[in-house]
Amino acid sequence: MPAATPEPQPNSSSPPEDGRKPLFSARGLEKVYTSGAGEVRALNGVDLDLYPGELVVLLGASGSGKSTLLNNLGGLDLPSAGTLTYQGRDLAHADEDTLTRFRRDSVGFVFQFYNLIPSLTARENVALITEIARNPMTPEAALALVDLADRMDHFPSQMSGGQQQRVAIARAIAKRPEVLLCDEPTGALDVKTGITVLEAIEHVNRNLGTLTVLITHNATIADMADRVVRLSDGKIVDIQRNPNRRSVRSLVW
Amino acid sequence: MRALHLKLLRDVGKMKGQMIAVSLIMACGLTMLIMTRSLIQSVESTRNAYYERYHFADLFCDLKRAPNAIGNRLAQIPGVAAVDTRVVGRMTLNLPGLAEPADGLIHSLPEGRPSQLNLLFLRRGRLPETGSRNEVAVGEAFAKAHGFEPGHEIAAVIHGAKQRLTIVGIVLSPEFVFESRPGETLPDNRRFGVFWMNERELATAFQLSGAFNNVLVDVAPGQQPAPVMAELDRVLAPYGGLIAYTRKDHASASRLNDELRVLHGLSIAFPTVFLSIAAFMTSAMLTRLIRLQREQIAQLKAFGYSSRQVGSHYLQFALVIVLIGLSTGTVAGMWFGGNVVSVYKRFFQFPALTFHPDISAIGLALLVSSGAAFAGVIGTVRQVMRLPPAEAMRPEPPAEYRTSLLERLGLGKLASPAFRMILRNIERRPAQALFTALGLALATGIPVVPGAIRDGIQFILNFQWDYAQRQDITLGLLEPGSASALSDIQHLPGVLSAEPFRSVPARLRFGHISRKLGVIGLPRDATLNRVLNEHGRPITLPPHGLLVSAKLAEILGAKVGDNITLEIQEGKRPRLEAPIHGVLTDFAGLAAYMDLEALHRLMREGSTVSGAYLSVDSSRLTDFLSRVKECPRIASMAVKDAVRGSFQKSTAEMIGMIQGLYFSFSIVVAFGVVYNSARIALSERSRDLATLRVIGFTHREVVGLMVGEIALLTLVALPFGLGIGSLLASGIIHTASTESVRLPLVLTSRTYATAVLIVLTSAVISCGVVSRRIRHLDLLAVLKSTE
Repeated sequence: MPAATPEPQPNSSSPPEDGRKPLFSARGLEKVYTSGAGEVRALNGVDLDLYPGELVVLLGASGSGKSTLLNNLGGLDLPSAGTLTYQGRDLAHADEDTLTRFRRDSVGFVFQFYNLIPSLTARENVALITEIARNPMTPEAALALVDLADRMDHFPSQMSGGQQQRVAIARAIAKRPEVLLCDEPTGALDVKTGITVLEAIEHVNRNLGTLTVLITHNATIADMADRVVRLSDGKIVDIQRNPNRRSVRSLVW
Repeated sequence: MRALHLKLLRDVGKMKGQMIAVSLIMACGLTMLIMTRSLIQSVESTRNAYYERYHFADLFCDLKRAPNAIGNRLAQIPGVAAVDTRVVGRMTLNLPGLAEPADGLIHSLPEGRPSQLNLLFLRRGRLPETGSRNEVAVGEAFAKAHGFEPGHEIAAVIHGAKQRLTIVGIVLSPEFVFESRPGETLPDNRRFGVFWMNERELATAFQLSGAFNNVLVDVAPGQQPAPVMAELDRVLAPYGGLIAYTRKDHASASRLNDELRVLHGLSIAFPTVFLSIAAFMTSAMLTRLIRLQREQIAQLKAFGYSSRQVGSHYLQFALVIVLIGLSTGTVAGMWFGGNVVSVYKRFFQFPALTFHPDISAIGLALLVSSGAAFAGVIGTVRQVMRLPPAEAMRPEPPAEYRTSLLERLGLGKLASPAFRMILRNIERRPAQALFTALGLALATGIPVVPGAIRDGIQFILNFQWDYAQRQDITLGLLEPGSASALSDIQHLPGVLSAEPFRSVPARLRFGHISRKLGVIGLPRDATLNRVLNEHGRPITLPPHGLLVSAKLAEILGAKVGDNITLEIQEGKRPRLEAPIHGVLTDFAGLAAYMDLEALHRLMREGSTVSGAYLSVDSSRLTDFLSRVKECPRIASMAVKDAVRGSFQKSTAEMIGMIQGLYFSFSIVVAFGVVYNSARIALSERSRDLATLRVIGFTHREVVGLMVGEIALLTLVALPFGLGIGSLLASGIIHTASTESVRLPLVLTSRTYATAVLIVLTSAVISCGVVSRRIRHLDLLAVLKSTE
C-alpha cells in the first residue's frame, strides 16, 4: 500500500481518449459525519469522472474514504457538499424515492459478506431482483454468466463462500445495470476462491460493458483495472491509468 | 458483579419495547389473578364476618300460621342452637315519582325479647320503638334508590289496609345482601324494598296476632342440618309449613355464592392462558438476545465469569419482565378490583365492602409469573451455561433453510420469492410461529366473550319479554281469589285482555332429588304468557302432566316421560305422580307449568286465581295504574317495560365494564405479540432487509416482506381465534349459569367482526411502529458487519 502524499489533487476529470461522456461526475464532493466525538470528514473535496465500460479500482487505507465514495456513488448516502451527477442527473440532492429507483434500475451491488437472503435459493435470490427490474435477464442466464448453472437450487448455507459471492454478482448484474459497485468482494475469501470471483466480475465488465468500481485493500488486484484511484484522508491523491490491463488469471499475489 | 448489572440495565434499556410488550401480557394474567383473588377474599371475608356478627340463620322455613308457643317446641329440637319466629308478609307501596305501585317484604321485629338471628345493621336513625305505631326500618338499597331518610313517610297497603308508614331507620340485613325479590337476577331497587316493623303491629295487620309464619333457625356447631330440617318440617306440617331450606337455597346467599363461583373460575382460567403466552414470548426474546450476544458470553467466560454467573445474568432479564409485569398487574388488578367493588356495592348490600388487596395473591402472582418466565427461558439459559468459550467466540453458523411444504408438494410455482421467504421462515421456526399464531388467536378470542354476554342478555330480553311474556302487566293477588276477582281485574280501566294464572308452592321430587318452587297453572290456550320450547315455539299445555324448565329436568335427573312426585304445600297438600310432558326454554329460575284446570282439579278448588297477565291499552295506562294503587287486594304488580328498562340499565354498566376489561386484554395481547414477533423478525433479518433496500427495494416493499409473515399468521389465527373465543364464551357462560340465571350462548357476526377488527387494528398499528424502524435501518452499518 503506497503512503498517502499530501500533493495537490491531480486532475481526474479529464476525458479518456475516445471522448465519451462520463457516467458519474463528482466535483468538490464532501461528506462530513457528526458523531459524539465531533466531526469526521470522510470525503474532503473529491473530483472524479467515471466512464461507461471502464473498471476502476479504489485503493486506500482504512478510513481513507473509499467506502464513503462508493456509497455516495451508489445512492446509499448523500454528500454534505459538492455536486454529484449520474448521466447528468443530480444525485447529491435526490430524495429517498429517486435514490431507491436509481439503485433499482441502474446499480448492482456486491458486498464483502455476500448478503444473500438465507431463506432463498440461488435462483430465487436472483429472481428477487429480476422481478422488480425494468429489463432483466433471466435468473438462469445471470447464474450461467458466473458459472453457477449447476447450483441454482441450492440455499446459501449449502454453498461455499466463493459460490455465494458469485450468486451475489449474478444478483447484481441480472438487471443489466449500468454500474456495478463492489465493496471488497474478495475480502472474506481465500486466494483461489477470490480469483474465481474476480473473474466473474471481469467477465461481466468485459462482456456487458458495465462500469465497475471495485474497492480493495489488495494492490495486486489494481492490475486488472483500467484506472486505479488512490484515496487518503478523504482526498484523491493519485490516479493511474493502466495502459496494459491484465487479466485476473495472470495476477499473482 | 456491578458491571454485569450495568450491562443488564443497558440491554434492558435497548430492548425496552419488547420487554414492556411481554410484561404487559403477563400483567393481564396477573391483573385478573390479583383482581379476582382479592375480590374473592374481600367479599368472602366481609360476608363471613357479616353473617357471623349479625347471626345469619342456617335454616329458613315459611308456614301458614302457628301459635307463638310452637316456637318453644322448635327450640327443643336436638341440634338447634337458636330459633327466631316472626311474621313476614308482602306489601305494596304507592311511591311518589313512580307510576306503578312498588312492592316489598315486611318483617316483624321481636318485642319484649331480643332478636337472636338475622340481626339488623343500623346505618342511620333508629329501629322502631316498642309499642310505637307505623314506624318502619327500611333496607338501604331501596332507601337510596328513592332518597329516603329517617323521618320520611310512605303510603303502603299491608294486607289490604292502607297505612302511612314513617321511616325511622335505614338498615341492612344479612338475609338481604342481595336485596331483590326472591329469584330475580338483578335487583330492581326502585320497585322492591325490604322493611321491618314491630311484631305486634305487623301481626295484627296480617291477622296473625299471637302467631308467626316464618322461622329462622341456627344449627348448633357440629350438628348436621338435615335431621333438624326433617324435624322442623314434621313439627310445622300441621301449621301449613313449607319445606325448610338451607343457606344454599336462600335467594340472597345463593346469588352471592354464584358470583363467587364465577370469580373462582376466572381466577384460574385467565392467568393460566396469559402466563403461558408470556412465558413463550420471554423465551423467544431471550433466545434471540443470547444468539446476538454469543461473543459477549464467550468473552465473559474467558475473563473468568463462571457459567452460573453468566446464566443468572440472563435469568435476570426474565426477572425484570416479571417485576414490571407484577407491578403493572398489581396496580391494574387493584384498580379494576376497586371498580368492580363499586359495582358490587350497588348489587350487594354490606355494612362496609371495601377492596382489600389479597397480599397472598400478589405473592402467588410473583410465584406463578416467575415460574412461567423461568420455565420459558431455562432451556436457553442452560445452553448459555454449557457454551464453551472458544466455540462461542465464533459467529453462529448461517441459518439453514429448506424448501417449504408447499414447494415439496410441487406447488412452489404458485408462490413468489417473497412468499416463499415467508413460508420458509415460518417453517424454520415452527414453535415461534405457532405461539405467535396462538397469541393472536387468543387475542381474537377474548373480545368474543363480552360480545356473547351482551348478545345473550339481549336474547333473553327479547325472548322473555317479546316472545314468551307478551303481557304488559302481571298482577299478583294478596290471597288467591275466585272467578269474580278475575272479572274485577278484567274491568279495570284500559284492560284489553286478561289471562288468569294459579301459583301454588310445591316440592317436586324425582328419586331422592327434590326442589321447591311454585307450580303455575295457565289456561291451555294462553296467548299472553306463553310456554315456549327451545325453538321459541309455544307448547300447548297437556291436560295431564307437567312442562318443566330444561334446567329443572337436568337438576332432577329426569327426562320427558318420567313420572315425578308433586307435593303441593298449600290447601289439603295433595300429592300427585305426574309425567314430564315436555321441557321448556327459560333463562331465569326454575319453573313447572300445568294446565290451569288440571291444577284446579288437583287442588279440589273452583276457578281460583293467584293473579292475571294483562294486556293494557297504553293510552289508558295512567288510569289503570292509579286504580291499581287504590286496590288493596293486589299484592304485586310488574310492568314489563319498567322491569325491562331497569334490567337494561343495570346490565349496561356491567357489560360496559366487562367489555372494557376484555377489550384492553385483547389489545395488549394482539399488540404485544405482533410487536414482539416483528421485533425478533427485524433483529434476525435486519441484514436481509437492508440488503433488499440497497439493491433497490422500496421501503414499502421491504416492510411488506416483513409484515407478510405476521399477516399470514394473523390470517391463520383469526378463524381459530373465533373458535377459541366461542369455546371461551361457552365455558364462561356455562360457569356463570346457575339455577337463578342462565345465559344462552349467542354468537353474532357483530361479535366476531368486533374481535377481528380489534386484533387487525392492533396488529396494523404494532407493525406500523416496527416498520418505522426499517426506515431508520442503518444500511451501511448492517452491510459492513457479519452480525
